[in-house]
Amino acid sequence: MGKVKIKRKSTLIDMTAMSDVTVLLLTFFMLTSTFLAKEPVTVITPSSVSEIKVPTSNVTSVLVSPEGKIFLSVLGEAEITKDNESWSSEGVRKEALLSAARKYEEVTGKKTGITQNDAEKFAKLMTFGVPLAKMHEFLMLDQTKQDQYLAEDPAAGVPMTDIVYQTTDGFKETTNEFQIWMRAIYNSENSNLQEAMKKGEGIAVKADRGTNYSTLHDVLDNLQTIKMNRFSVMTALKTEND
Amino acid sequence: MAQIEQSSGGKKKKGAQKKMSIHVDFTPMVDMNMLLITFFMLCTTMIKSQTLNISLPSNEKIENEEQQSKAKNSEAITMILTTERDKDGNVKSDAEGRPMNTIYYYEGKPYIEDANNDGLIDVSPDGFGILRAEKFLGNTPEGEQGIRKILHNKNKQALEKIDEQKKLWRENKITDEEFQKKAKEIRNDSTLTRPVVIIKATPEASWESVITALDEMQINQISRYQIDNINQVDSALILDYLAKNPNK
Repeated sequence: MGKVKIKRKSTLIDMTAMSDVTVLLLTFFMLTSTFLAKEPVTVITPSSVSEIKVPTSNVTSVLVSPEGKIFLSVLGEAEITKDNESWSSEGVRKEALLSAARKYEEVTGKKTGITQNDAEKFAKLMTFGVPLAKMHEFLMLDQTKQDQYLAEDPAAGVPMTDIVYQTTDGFKETTNEFQIWMRAIYNSENSNLQEAMKKGEGIAVKADRGTNYSTLHDVLDNLQTIKMNRFSVMTALKTEND
Repeated sequence: MAQIEQSSGGKKKKGAQKKMSIHVDFTPMVDMNMLLITFFMLCTTMIKSQTLNISLPSNEKIENEEQQSKAKNSEAITMILTTERDKDGNVKSDAEGRPMNTIYYYEGKPYIEDANNDGLIDVSPDGFGILRAEKFLGNTPEGEQGIRKILHNKNKQALEKIDEQKKLWRENKITDEEFQKKAKEIRNDSTLTRPVVIIKATPEASWESVITALDEMQINQISRYQIDNINQVDSALILDYLAKNPNK
């Protein structure tokens, strides 16, 4: 019997086709992706059958952490022309910070020390939740420190503690920083944002499914007090059989 | 594919160049692409969040009694949401992995008479105002279950009419727009007996249970519902229910 000659096979695999596919997939993901917004706390929203999508412009999100801390984020007009530069997210944020600080100084009589320069820095922040008294200090930190502060510091979050003050007519009024912020955003120059907030689509409340209702009740109660009775709640999609 | 063959063409002559094939190894390229894909897949949100619109009543007190709208006894249904939590405050789940939410509900006005003084609330003579417990069970092959069944029965007239329209829409006899318009009309048709649902949540109730309750309103096409604060009568009714049904 003759020797069986084993044919030597080359182990080279042609990767071209594979490469083609991966490039295609990569292109798809790059084009369709919208990046996850960086949030100081991760929440899993409850699900509902509602099919209304979250707007991508002119919306104020109120993120409520399970412990009851409040973080706000503001998105202004998506398309900016020369006429409505102050309607952009940056413009609205800048204006909101300055007017919220003014109001805060007026009702508490304390100085916040917020400067124009701070407002420029603040305009770049996606999510914020810092007591106004600490805002100046917070804006001085670098980005990693800021993220750390929002995620870990017990003082983070927009406070909802009562501030009692006297109006010019001598009446006693109660407000809090959350209300000051919401009003400041509402009264910004961007009238499309104002319109959306009036209709309810411009305010999105986001909270974890396990959060106590009492925590949410505080937030909703504050919204009611400043006559923002209509708002929307962020949910995930659920099938009808669920 | 990834090789370029160089053939000298024609007959092999002496001293002609050797046939050469250039292989380009694409493996590192694929590796890199895979890494990038993984990155993009993990960092993107494909599904955009949905929103559910809520209107809360105004916080201002209505001083004039006449301005208050009152629901008929037979139409009103009050749902009180509770959630069971462990000692760390996490929501407990049942054997099927569902969060343990309980809905206590009563129809009409709450009944809190205790004529025989045994510390327990008597059975209401007309059947209204008795607290019962239900769960969010959704649909099963046998039909609606749990609280959905109760709400469905309450809003039967409107749901039947909407189903008729839905059938027409499925058969493409009416457009989507027409269907939505008709459905809205039926939901708000005051000639039908439609329920008025009052949703109350205890402080420890989970946000999910509140949203699920609001969702049931959408599923059952109920147009009149409201979120309200829990009061002492409601707490008393729940305590009474738990005293009567200690194993629950």
